[in-house]
Amino acid sequence: MAQIETGGGGGHGKHDKKRAKKLSTRIDMTPMVDLAFLLLTFFVLTSTFSKPKVLRMIFPEKNKDVPLKDLPKVKDGLTLILNGSDKIYYYSGSTDKATALEATDFSKEGLRTILKERNKWLINQIEKVQIESDKGPRNDTAFERKIKTKLEKAQAESKFVVLVKHTSDATYKNMIDVVDEFLITQVGKYFVVDEPLGKKEQMLLDKKLKE
Amino acid sequence: MPRSAPSLDMTPLVDLAFLLVTFFILTSSFRQPEPVTVDPPTSTTIEQIPKQVFLITIDKDGRTFVDITNPAIKGKVFFDMCEKYNIKITKQDSLKFVGTASIGLKMSGIMDYLEKEPADRAGYPMTGIPYDTADTKKGQLYWWAYYARIAAKNDFEDRKAEAEKRKLEFDMTSALKFSVKADSRTKYDVVQSVIQVFRDVKIKNFEMITGLEDKPAN
Repeated sequence: MAQIETGGGGGHGKHDKKRAKKLSTRIDMTPMVDLAFLLLTFFVLTSTFSKPKVLRMIFPEKNKDVPLKDLPKVKDGLTLILNGSDKIYYYSGSTDKATALEATDFSKEGLRTILKERNKWLINQIEKVQIESDKGPRNDTAFERKIKTKLEKAQAESKFVVLVKHTSDATYKNMIDVVDEFLITQVGKYFVVDEPLGKKEQMLLDKKLKE
Repeated sequence: MPRSAPSLDMTPLVDLAFLLVTFFILTSSFRQPEPVTVDPPTSTTIEQIPKQVFLITIDKDGRTFVDITNPAIKGKVFFDMCEKYNIKITKQDSLKFVGTASIGLKMSGIMDYLEKEPADRAGYPMTGIPYDTADTKKGQLYWWAYYARIAAKNDFEDRKAEAEKRKLEFDMTSALKFSVKADSRTKYDVVQSVIQVFRDVKIKNFEMITGLEDKPAN
């Protein structure tokens, strides 16, 4: 607040005149503070700190020369079928031997538990390498490279393969959720299949849905 | 006791307030109005969105939109596209195009859109960029991605050569990245078609833009 000098009573001749000229150097800052806080509130409320994140995916080039039936059969694998609902249908092993589908969901107790169980070998290997890496020397490039090669080797040796198939009703969210579960459970070998469901898979799915 | 006015020294308070205001002004960047609102699904990845992106947005009805964050590449791609589809453009048109947000129109409809005042563009009906799943080369989306890939490659190499000539450090991560941003409710078949377009342009490595989700504690 601007201050007004409240000097004593008059009656001092020369001194009085000088005192009247001496103005206060204080400025009323209230409006400025109001404005500053208004702006501050505006920027605090409108700014978003969480920038969108990205999920990196690599899709191999399509090789049109190789017919689908010549592709290697998945023996030690899991096939997930997405149909746009909040359920995931799956079977193990090859399509020919599958007799029925099982259902699970996107929750922590659902798909994640199954993937963790099936991918136990690789998770254990990665943990072992991690422990070794923690014990080892820091800032040692040769050692870091060794650890990296070990991780890559474990990933390459893992026999657990997941195929993701979908019906035309499957949504983008379903797919991202599944891929995210793969990242969480460290599944390295997963493939998103372009082709529509095979006859047998469709039949199994229809049967399961009727239950 | 002498009576004094109830005054308070507000200087430090003002200092702090303006410091914060300055901080927020400098750190915030205003988002360009997008023609569609897309609500992407969430994931637990913590990787940041790249600086330079060629972005294909897919809304819940399956319409596709294209945007390029690098103005130079955006202008070049627009020029190439107009040349391919025999559309005559002026420098003014090109500048106008670079100033727009995502665009989801056929090449034949773009000029009409650009002639509108920026304020009137908000409600313009966008039909989406056509794409063909059987033969992607017939769709315009393919050519957008194709020219963007070439322009991005040339731009990257030019800047790299320039940096080497001047003996400056070159930021390898500044390359244009290809990204897909789709709504949670978009059918995966549509996303797959767009991925197919990317693959046909021989872009194998690309990013799916997602919201942030907390990483589960193990």
